[in-house]
Amino acid sequence: MPGWLFSRLLQAAATLAAAIVVLFFLMRLAPGDPLAQLAGERQMSLQEVEVLRARYGLDQPLTSQFSAFVRGVLRGDLGTSISQRRPVTNILAERLPATLLLGGTVLVLNFTIGIWLGVLQARRKGSRADRWLSTLSLAGYATPSFWLGLILVWLAAVRWHWFPAGGMVDPLRSGESGLSRILDVARHLFLPVLTLSIVSMAVTMRHQRTAMLEVLGADFVRTARAKGLDEGPVIWHHAWRNALFPIITLFGLWLPVLVTGSVFVEGVFAWPGLGSLSQEAISGRDYPLLMGTALLVSLTVVLGNVIADLAYFYLDPRVRR
Amino acid sequence: MLKGAWEQPGGRRGLLLLAVIVIVALVGPAFLPDPASQPDLIHGALLPPGLGHLFGTDQLSRDVLSRVVHGARISLSVALLAVALSATLGCLVGMVAGYFGGWTDAVLMRLVDGALAIPRLFILLLLIAVWDHIPLAALIVVLGATGWFGTSRLVRAEVLRLREQEYVGAAVALGAQRRRIILRHLLPNALAPVLVASTLAVGDVILIEAGLSFLGLGIRPPTPSWGAMILDARSTLFTAPWTGAFPGLAIVITVVAVNLVGESLRDALDPRRL
Amino acid sequence: MRAPLWLVRVGLVGLPSLVPLLTRSPQAQGVPADHGTIVIAVGTLATLPVPTVITGRWNQDVSDLLFLKLARLGPELATGGDKRFIPQLAKSWTRRDSLTLVFDLDPRARWHDGTPVTSRDVVFTFRRTLEPGVDPQRALLLRYLASVTEEGPQRVVFRFSRAYSEQLYDAVYHVQPLPAHLVDSIPYSRFATSSFAQHPIGNGPYRWVALVPGQRLEFTANPDFFLGAPKLDRVVFIEARDPEAQLNLVLSGTADALENVVPVTNIPRVADNPSLRMLQVPSFTVSYLLFNQRSRSDRSVPHPILADSVVRLAIALALDRATLVKNVFGVYGAVPYGPVPILSWIRDPKVNPLAQDTARARALLRSRGWVDANSDGILVRNGVPLSLDLNYPVTSAPRKQMALGIQEQLRQIGVKVELVGMEGAAWNEARNRHDFDIDFSSVGLDPSPAGLIQSWSCEGLSGTNVGGYCDPKVDSLLIQGIFARKDALPTWRRAVQQLEQDVPAVFIYAPIYAFAVHRRYANVNIRPEGWWAALGEWSVTPGQQLERDRTPP
Repeated sequence: MPGWLFSRLLQAAATLAAAIVVLFFLMRLAPGDPLAQLAGERQMSLQEVEVLRARYGLDQPLTSQFSAFVRGVLRGDLGTSISQRRPVTNILAERLPATLLLGGTVLVLNFTIGIWLGVLQARRKGSRADRWLSTLSLAGYATPSFWLGLILVWLAAVRWHWFPAGGMVDPLRSGESGLSRILDVARHLFLPVLTLSIVSMAVTMRHQRTAMLEVLGADFVRTARAKGLDEGPVIWHHAWRNALFPIITLFGLWLPVLVTGSVFVEGVFAWPGLGSLSQEAISGRDYPLLMGTALLVSLTVVLGNVIADLAYFYLDPRVRR
Repeated sequence: MLKGAWEQPGGRRGLLLLAVIVIVALVGPAFLPDPASQPDLIHGALLPPGLGHLFGTDQLSRDVLSRVVHGARISLSVALLAVALSATLGCLVGMVAGYFGGWTDAVLMRLVDGALAIPRLFILLLLIAVWDHIPLAALIVVLGATGWFGTSRLVRAEVLRLREQEYVGAAVALGAQRRRIILRHLLPNALAPVLVASTLAVGDVILIEAGLSFLGLGIRPPTPSWGAMILDARSTLFTAPWTGAFPGLAIVITVVAVNLVGESLRDALDPRRL
Repeated sequence: MRAPLWLVRVGLVGLPSLVPLLTRSPQAQGVPADHGTIVIAVGTLATLPVPTVITGRWNQDVSDLLFLKLARLGPELATGGDKRFIPQLAKSWTRRDSLTLVFDLDPRARWHDGTPVTSRDVVFTFRRTLEPGVDPQRALLLRYLASVTEEGPQRVVFRFSRAYSEQLYDAVYHVQPLPAHLVDSIPYSRFATSSFAQHPIGNGPYRWVALVPGQRLEFTANPDFFLGAPKLDRVVFIEARDPEAQLNLVLSGTADALENVVPVTNIPRVADNPSLRMLQVPSFTVSYLLFNQRSRSDRSVPHPILADSVVRLAIALALDRATLVKNVFGVYGAVPYGPVPILSWIRDPKVNPLAQDTARARALLRSRGWVDANSDGILVRNGVPLSLDLNYPVTSAPRKQMALGIQEQLRQIGVKVELVGMEGAAWNEARNRHDFDIDFSSVGLDPSPAGLIQSWSCEGLSGTNVGGYCDPKVDSLLIQGIFARKDALPTWRRAVQQLEQDVPAVFIYAPIYAFAVHRRYANVNIRPEGWWAALGEWSVTPGQQLERDRTPP
């Protein structure tokens, strides 16, 4: 195993490096550049644009810009954001906690409740519970996600005043810490988590249900039952372990949400996360900020898939590679 | 395969529903007013459903029913074709990677990792640089070609698991050809997650296509599409819900129909029946 | 072991009463009845509202709360002459001769650290602003300013190189003085990241408290403000990029005010809310369909279709601008005459833009040889169809909606319009590269009509005049307007009239912003040239204070 793991990690590093290179050059191919955005707001002469270009190192040939970037990354310096004039690392550090909080909570809920509901559906296939859950999950998924969010906000925040309409904390309670702050954030977290969970749980539930159905009909399950084992262990120890593969894949695919955030949820709920940040970075062609967020995302994508591969192996050691 | 689906009651309903939707999409436009016509910008905008306009009118006094029906053509072709393309590519790559393992697997999956690491938005921005205006066919191909990565990993995971099952070993011992193993034993099982993912993807793709118009890449107005109608109706969700409810309903019905067909396909392909 | 009963009883009673202590700050003592707090929902938070490094309108608006100008515009927003301005940092001014203005600073003006505001601050800031590379736009606006010098600690002398009526405007409007004693040791290149910029010290009615980027910006009232301490003790700006989110914040009570309720269809939702009030604030924005009069591929060649002024006139006549504006904005918009904003003092309320006349439009096109040869509804001339691309940024919902209306109206006279919605940066780039047929532009103008020069003069061709329009008659009128000795108004109006007649663009809408403000506020004043600048004058109606108003900062 260690040999395989080492080779796998090496591959991951290579993929990450390749993705970074591709992203770096791909970014500059899109029409428009960061200075055009800046210049658009403050009518600049060509001279002034050239001065700024030099200041941000944008007049250097691409290869030297790239090596400067790499050297910076190795030092821990991701450059300075052109639109915000601050170090990229500061900007990312500010938004990361909020994004992790939202993504992490949804991840946990999704892969606990989602799994449990999916297994429930499979065990009671064709029952009313199964049909209702299927319909609800399909409806929840087919509805445009921002509708869900907007309707939830309207009902729970505007009409009934149960939860705040947006933001991460109460704007008037800045100096608080400890329990009251945790409660405040929790109140603001509820609706965005609910919205994102409904959408993502639908996916997990459906995959888990399908996978579980496949497995429940298999011979080895019949064997286990014939041996007289209790239903509980039959379901969870024997059957479910095999039905876990697609779930693990989903988990690996979902991990990047921890750092990409969700653009629509952050928009509707004014949640200060990385999703809306990357969106702004892209439309402002803010190359340093863009590379910073892209680096984070690539890292988690690659890592997520490594974790998934590890998990397959752990679940079923016969699976080589 | 389709015959198998037809035999299931759910599948039959799904196929019929899809057939109805397609027929309405093809034939409906002939009976309905011009979807681009704006009869009365001042008094005819945002009218609720009524006799003159069964689904009401939008912000530009255009008839919503007409736009939903005319939009079906674009939205359906985009959704169904792009998803079919994604599903096929995902299956192919996933199966090859999972079955052959070794370097093939490593190379393919690292390529998939790399592709997943690059935000779709980037690639789409590039397209703007290359094309002034993307024709519909190219759009479908782009959407299909950028949507299969997750599916391939799902398929690969299933193949990894199944490859080691006893019945595969038995088949190999009996001297079965590789192709036969893949097609008869692995594919039907591996298809299950693909079907789930594809069903969900149908609704997704329609909205992604609409999101593209926010980059200036999607279908150009005044041609209607369901996704674009929903995005446009976002700001009138509470003041004029019919502008978004009807195209939304159309999407939901399509997704339900595809889902029914998909489920029945999965049941039909259950290896215990083959 | 079970707890004794008396302990349980105390616990049952005592614990819940502890909860308020854990979750709320202690009650206020003696906050005056008309004081309060305001939470304002904005689309983009001002992260750097510091003069000389301000980018964007949102930073400029907020900087007015921290940094005063020498004087501000009066209610008519007049920019000419010396009389119609209201003293701020300068308590009075006199004119020594046609090229020299002398300002006497108000001796009560203080920086937030207690230091008096002196002429040295003014001189330093002007010098800094005019340094090359710092602020090219303002430098251009101040090109006739020869020198700014101190004459004693409270007196500043401005000398101009030319005599023109907006000297006072240029002296007071564009530059907000910075505290020289704190800033002059910081080189400009490091200013934006300096500790001063992270925690600015100004002289305005409000002091900086804290910024949490992407979330909130907080100010507190300056109790020593020399023009009267503000009654709103706390001002908090919160960011919500999505217009629906902004609306929800204000409808649910988290926010007390919202700038610009969009789209217009949401206004009834605010109006129906009993605790909110709507305010109309006319803007300085004008949006227009700019015609590219030069060929897209080669600027030295005229545009094959749009170089013909008759065709442009026909397009203008084919559009029913009033209906388009009513459809998108309801009553919150007007059709401008020329590129003149609603509030501009040169605006002539008596002239109207051309009304729609489709018959005349068709006749004009026919007269230039455009005919519908193959009955497909599109006019053709010499094998070239009358087909034009209309570029617009997809981020602008009003322009997106209006573009559809425009496309349909032009279809009625046989002009095929291809709607090219582009992503912001791509649209900007296409515009700057002159790669468009018709560009749906939207410009926020200064209160001074002198800004017309940049976009509509031959001189502006190398800069922001991307449509390629050049009429020496208009140029000379504009210059005359700027340097007119006596009443410049007729000259400006003639320039605008000529612009309307030349049809370099179809001037299509001037928006009026809809602000939502909580009813409990009194003396509410939103200044069109700087929305939140008058917050220092607001107060809360006694008897209507909410809990948030009673909690001290």
